Amino acid sequence: MATPIAMPKLGLTMSEGKVIAWPIPLGEHVDKGQTVLIIESEKAEVEIEATAAGILRHIYVEPEEVVPCGSLLGAITAGADEPFDAEAFHADHHRPVASADQGMLAGATLGPGGAARAGAGEAGEPAARRVGRVLAAPAARALAKNLGFPLETIPGRGPGGRITKEDVEAFAERRRALRRVAEGVSLEVPQQGTGRPVVLLPGFGIDVAAFARQVPVLAQRFAVLGVNPRGVGLSDAPETEGYDVRTAAADVASLIEEPAHVIGASLGAAVALEMAFEHHDRVRSLTLVTPFVFASPTLLAVIDAWCAVGAMGSPTALAKMLLPWLFAAETLADPRARDRVERGLAEIAGRVSAPSLARWAAGLRAWSGTRADALGGVRAPTLVVAGSRDLLTPGAEALAQEIPGAKSVVVSGAGHAVALEAAEAVNEAILNHLAGA
Amino acid sequence: MARTLATTHAINEALHIALQSDPDVILLGEDIAGGGTREGEEIDEVGGVIGMTKGLCKAFPDRVFDTPISEMGILGTAVGAATTGLRPVAELMFIDFIGVCLDPLLNQAAKLRYMFGGKARVPLTVRTLTGAGMQAAAQHSQSLYWLTTGIPGLKTVIASNAKDAKGLLLAAIRDDDPVIVCEAKGILNDSCEVPEGDYEIPLGEAAIARRGGDVTLVGMGATVKTALQAAQHLAKEGIECEVVDLRSLQPLDEATVLSSLEKTGRLVVVDESTPRCGIASDIAALCVDKGFDSLNAPVKRVTAPHTPVPFAAVLERAFMPSAEKVVAAVHEMG
Repeated sequence: MATPIAMPKLGLTMSEGKVIAWPIPLGEHVDKGQTVLIIESEKAEVEIEATAAGILRHIYVEPEEVVPCGSLLGAITAGADEPFDAEAFHADHHRPVASADQGMLAGATLGPGGAARAGAGEAGEPAARRVGRVLAAPAARALAKNLGFPLETIPGRGPGGRITKEDVEAFAERRRALRRVAEGVSLEVPQQGTGRPVVLLPGFGIDVAAFARQVPVLAQRFAVLGVNPRGVGLSDAPETEGYDVRTAAADVASLIEEPAHVIGASLGAAVALEMAFEHHDRVRSLTLVTPFVFASPTLLAVIDAWCAVGAMGSPTALAKMLLPWLFAAETLADPRARDRVERGLAEIAGRVSAPSLARWAAGLRAWSGTRADALGGVRAPTLVVAGSRDLLTPGAEALAQEIPGAKSVVVSGAGHAVALEAAEAVNEAILNHLAGA
Repeated sequence: MARTLATTHAINEALHIALQSDPDVILLGEDIAGGGTREGEEIDEVGGVIGMTKGLCKAFPDRVFDTPISEMGILGTAVGAATTGLRPVAELMFIDFIGVCLDPLLNQAAKLRYMFGGKARVPLTVRTLTGAGMQAAAQHSQSLYWLTTGIPGLKTVIASNAKDAKGLLLAAIRDDDPVIVCEAKGILNDSCEVPEGDYEIPLGEAAIARRGGDVTLVGMGATVKTALQAAQHLAKEGIECEVVDLRSLQPLDEATVLSSLEKTGRLVVVDESTPRCGIASDIAALCVDKGFDSLNAPVKRVTAPHTPVPFAAVLERAFMPSAEKVVAAVHEMG
């Protein structure tokens, strides 16, 4: 028996919704509860979970199409060879509703287990930086207060982005997993995979989600440690003047016991370089993605804008501002790709607070230019990855020539966010480099 | 193997035990003897509208009374008898008829102990049928237990199974205050294991009908059955429900409701009566007032709509709470 996937009615005023993406390819297996569909309604993206396990058998509505609530969007069958008549099924299950009032019935077609979970706050902004009153269940408020967590820091996964008790518990669990690096400072270090350690160091103002497209590949062979530096993610944000790059390197060095493959992007590459200078016994190899030793005037101006817009509390505005600086024209030319990276960027960049941005900006300025003469002293096998369209660190490839024996890969048509934009090329270069190091 | 009894038979047994164990107990109502005590005639008694008092007039001929069709008369007599020291068990055939005899209940039975400074007592029991589902239409299908629950001085109980129906009725008859014993139509023909002999279920104690840690479903009378069906369905989805059977609406076992809510953080009240000023709203208010920090989702009420009970079977089914509606409410609360 096939299970319908219909456009849900998520609110009283919702009469139609837009299909954004089908994350599971047609014909592939889907687990019950797995996100099978992403829709957009009233500016919020909502993940729709599969109500049954099976094969995503048929897709009736393609991404970007807007359809009324209750419209049949897809079908799941238990097996790939189960008899299935797409037209007959459509006739039986396509129940679009014309008006908002009749729409109550459409919600019911979600059926058991059809709990739609909104990943964003009511205003369509990513939940982490909600401005104004935080939506939270009373039990969540009480527990958060009891544990001493400000509600604003806890991502809400309940209906409409509401923080539930489970969210607070999950947050507390993640807080417990923090690793202590210095007196009063613990960092969030998500880990995945087993093998020799690989350390991932994200760039300015973003967390290890910046390596989202590298982690699954690297974790197949290595123990991948993503390090969220001070003030980023759940990591502690000590109230110091600035966060300096040398301290960041010392933080990372204290996390690893054996030499690791160290991969850093942009400001993370500066931290990686600092590790190679000061903690070379912890560095098996170095991968510098869009690195710099002198911050260009453009980079400094963008960091300035980042801090200013970041303080305004609108992740979407921040993402729109950053988009043309981080991604190449080739990516921006495709409206769907642009929308996708903009949403992703809003989600990631929205998670770092304005004071943390200001402290890292101070650290970046202070470090810029201090290590130009030291590159010749790097002993670890080094790979430099650059993007041909990178506007922020145009000297990345030249930097490779200063490091003895360093190789470089320039990805054509990619910008500063090359690891996200050209993940396959970057992953291949990294895997080759690590295999030889 | 222990014996099982239908609810109707368990109630009959409780009345028999009450009459036998206390000579002050009397029964009165319309057709509860049904002519069975008429001198010189050997006719089988009617035993009330669904035969629940069958056999009692023969066993206790001077204590089981047929009355004229006058609820005012039945309740007036019963309240008076109670104040003189008897323990009358009056049958109000359907709770829908309460409007006719509200004054003896509301202004006399409920007030006497209070107004006489404890010197008077009214050990009255009123048995009455409640609920829809038998196509008895708008004037014979209501669940008006919220009305008696809301009157200070009255106690109100409603059983969800035969065993509790027997124990609650015995406790009600022996209580020194007026108790309204609601008999939910939806469970009258259901059977379960019923202990032999004399036992009481204390007024004011809820029961846990099913244990679970994810969602609390609160029911009373027939809606306990509805909640249990929903719990079974939700368990297949991995959602474990705890089902609380209130049993006693006044006094209310707040502690059992609140401690279950504390465990689960989510609560749905399933109530067969209409939504305004009802038990579901009362329980929801209790949760918000005294269980606020336990709430992990909005309290949901699954009740009948704010309409008279329809006669047509299909409409009556749509009117009543169902397991599907409870499941939908659980999904909706997120």
